[in-house]
Amino acid sequence: MPLSCHDNLIKIREKVTFTVLLAGNPNVGKSTLFNRLTGLGVVTANYPGKTVELAMGSAHYTGGPEGKDIAFGVVDLPGTYALGAVSEDQWVARRAILEHLGDLVVIVVDATNLERNLFLVLQLLDLEFPAVMALNLMDQARKEKIVIDPQRLSQSLGIPVVPMVAATGEGVPDLVRICLEVLNGKQGAEHRSPIYGDDIEHWIRRVVREMETPPECPRSLAGHRHRHRFRAHSNPPEFGDTLLYGLSPRALALLLLEQDREFLEEAGKMPQGGAILNLVQTAAREIEARHGEAVHLRLARERHGLAGEIADQVEKREKTRPLLSSRLYQATLRPWTGIPILVGVLAAVLVLMYFVGGFLSGAFGTLWSAYLSPAITWAFTGLFGPSLLTRILLWGFDAGIQAALSVGIPFVIPFYFLLAAIEDSGYLNSIAYLADSLMHKLGLHGRAIISLVAGLGCSVPAIIGTRVLTTRRERVIASTLITLSPCSARTAVIMGAVALFVGFGQALGVFGIVLFVTLSAGLLLQRLLPGRSAGLVMEMFPFRVPKLPVILSKTWHHLKDFLFVAFPVIIVGSLVMGWLYETKLMWRLVGPLRFVVESWLGLPPIAGLCLLFAILRKEMALQLLISLAIIQHGAQATNLLTFMTKEQLFIFALVNALNIPCVATMSALARELGWMQALSISLFDMALAVAVGGLVHQAWRSLS
Amino acid sequence: MGDYLLAIFRRGEKAKRVTTSELAEALKVSLASVTDMIKKMAQLKLVRHLPYRGATLTRRGKKEALALLRKHRLSERFLYEKAGVDWDRVHEEAHKFEHVLSDEVEAKMAASLSDPTTCPHGSPVPTREGKILAELSEPVTELGDRTWGKIVRISTDEPKLLRYLASLGLMPGVLVCVEGKAPLGGPVMVRVGKATYALGRDVASQIWVKPEPAKG
Repeated sequence: MPLSCHDNLIKIREKVTFTVLLAGNPNVGKSTLFNRLTGLGVVTANYPGKTVELAMGSAHYTGGPEGKDIAFGVVDLPGTYALGAVSEDQWVARRAILEHLGDLVVIVVDATNLERNLFLVLQLLDLEFPAVMALNLMDQARKEKIVIDPQRLSQSLGIPVVPMVAATGEGVPDLVRICLEVLNGKQGAEHRSPIYGDDIEHWIRRVVREMETPPECPRSLAGHRHRHRFRAHSNPPEFGDTLLYGLSPRALALLLLEQDREFLEEAGKMPQGGAILNLVQTAAREIEARHGEAVHLRLARERHGLAGEIADQVEKREKTRPLLSSRLYQATLRPWTGIPILVGVLAAVLVLMYFVGGFLSGAFGTLWSAYLSPAITWAFTGLFGPSLLTRILLWGFDAGIQAALSVGIPFVIPFYFLLAAIEDSGYLNSIAYLADSLMHKLGLHGRAIISLVAGLGCSVPAIIGTRVLTTRRERVIASTLITLSPCSARTAVIMGAVALFVGFGQALGVFGIVLFVTLSAGLLLQRLLPGRSAGLVMEMFPFRVPKLPVILSKTWHHLKDFLFVAFPVIIVGSLVMGWLYETKLMWRLVGPLRFVVESWLGLPPIAGLCLLFAILRKEMALQLLISLAIIQHGAQATNLLTFMTKEQLFIFALVNALNIPCVATMSALARELGWMQALSISLFDMALAVAVGGLVHQAWRSLS
Repeated sequence: MGDYLLAIFRRGEKAKRVTTSELAEALKVSLASVTDMIKKMAQLKLVRHLPYRGATLTRRGKKEALALLRKHRLSERFLYEKAGVDWDRVHEEAHKFEHVLSDEVEAKMAASLSDPTTCPHGSPVPTREGKILAELSEPVTELGDRTWGKIVRISTDEPKLLRYLASLGLMPGVLVCVEGKAPLGGPVMVRVGKATYALGRDVASQIWVKPEPAKG
């Protein structure tokens, strides 16, 4: 099955000499290693119908023979605990390995949790793919006084083992060198599969023999190892090639004995398939009768047993006093201490967004209007004179860029810094654990709480932050709720229009309605969207000290993503609005808007225009309202009450808060969820804003 | 009616009473038909029905439910072992069997399987007298903090979840320790070997353990 966006992957594969796949459990530092190895130009791809993505990039190694520079590809597989294909991420990881998306698997292992990690390693060895183990987090293991003998580990598994610290780069060059040696056949030839209990081995042998007996068709899969390159158009499936990925008979026999659905089906299509399946079913019943449990359980038990045995042989754990970090970790999990800590951290996120974000926003704005804005104005005026074109271009390249500098970027930087620190330390898991039941009611995962709180500062980083959620469904719900919750700009409008002219209580009323609408939307989406939030199964691990370089690089990755998507969108959006404004075409919009704005919402038509133009920046709704009011009603209109009633101001602020997100938010939505989804969320918000605004207007009228 | 009996019995393992809306959801039928059936069953003295509070099985209802459960789980074992039906399909198929099986065939079935004590999913088969042998077990959510228990069975019908839990080392016969529970019905933290997992209550309530005396 070809991946989507495979063209990008093919481009990378054509430029490199070999490709490694990074496999491993979640939270073992796989992505840190990936980011360290690869630079710019990382592409992502997914299998049709699957949302779990693969990231691919290219890397360089300068220690080649005669100091030659070698380019190689790196694919980051989803983190999984097993390769049983029982979940989407496992399926994707397994499929990528089976399809030979890479020439070699680097299996990243957490040195502080060897036993549990070895389960996946054993499963991988069963597939008989060339592999190298990266024994990561050695620094943490040293801290916890865990000593591992890599030589012995390597001997018992039959693959090279490289101790390393992905976060600092320690051991990474060794890893690449050893991968090269394995590919050149200098190492790893002693690769062997794990050996299981006598009866299982007996049945494996019998199934293998059955596969190797030539049926009517002599071209069986045995010994048929194709290098299955990734192709844009796959050739008609050839036996033993695309169907069974050139697996070794033993590997296939194990998968069949495990009653792996996918492979049972595939094996059924083999010429001698019927006989094999019969034999496998007999084996399954025999093994079960003997051990009193299904074969796949038996095999899982044996793998765990083997993992435990190997771990016992190669590692020594000294009893130590619990580290400060692990005591802190315990405290974050106990409700009495954990909830106050959580509230504190969420408050810190909010404060950081408001003050650091607000400060940066002001600073960028000031710098822009002091130095760059005059320069751009001068340049455009010089080129086109004081014409209409100049004014429109200034909307895009002056006001537009200033909008980007004051909305997304200042908030993305501090939020990402903090989120990366929270994620990297492992605190995100404690949060998920404590907040899960609350977030579950909205169809979300406990981790979503950080993004929702960050959304009160700025929607853009909050939406990018929904990446910590695992399913697309959760990300759609979380992103929609973020677009509805009032960010700092919308709060400014509520305060400026309602708290100042109507009253503080009424301003709180606006927030109350917004909160109510947001929660109802969450409950509604939870029911409407297909699927349900999967039962939570999440590994918990003690804190690790976050590393500044890792945090900075993550912050930079997110910021870069945002810059590339947001800038073009914001500039084009601003140009369109500049054109509407400068050519006075916008006044023609008043007509069609009149029905909704005047009759349903009870607002003056220019207020409708302002709501529409606030797409550029939410706080512009108020600024524009005042400037348009001055054009229409003269200078005394700075007091909004001279031309709008208190009720109108209330509804104005409310509709602005719920209405379609700003351009920067839309571009973030498009980046994360695609244009279709961005558009449907925007339309949903608009419909909701108009409906709620209208209902409040009708209610207000009938009450007074 | 059999489906109702079993549904009330299953729910009864977790909660004291079963409300009509819970039943309607579990059986995917309308509220009205649940109310009708409950009334009928109350007349037959199979359930006790307290308006607005829900229904519980009477002693007689429980006996009937256990007899049905025995037929269901025996059929599962039979279909799996003798007829070679796939492990993850036997539940649905046995569902049809349990209603038509006579006591005589049931006895022969049990004999041909040499009186199994568990179904292919590891759940206990009630004895002919209507007793569940492994009754001492409870869901891991019921264990106190820092207490140990041995997993006796995992009562899910979702084969994928079973496999997933097995890959994490959560399977019958394994010792686990409850490390903590999140407030408001949040996840339960369970340690197995050197790894700790947070399990949502929906998952954890399907893991049945037998409490073990304090360890290490």
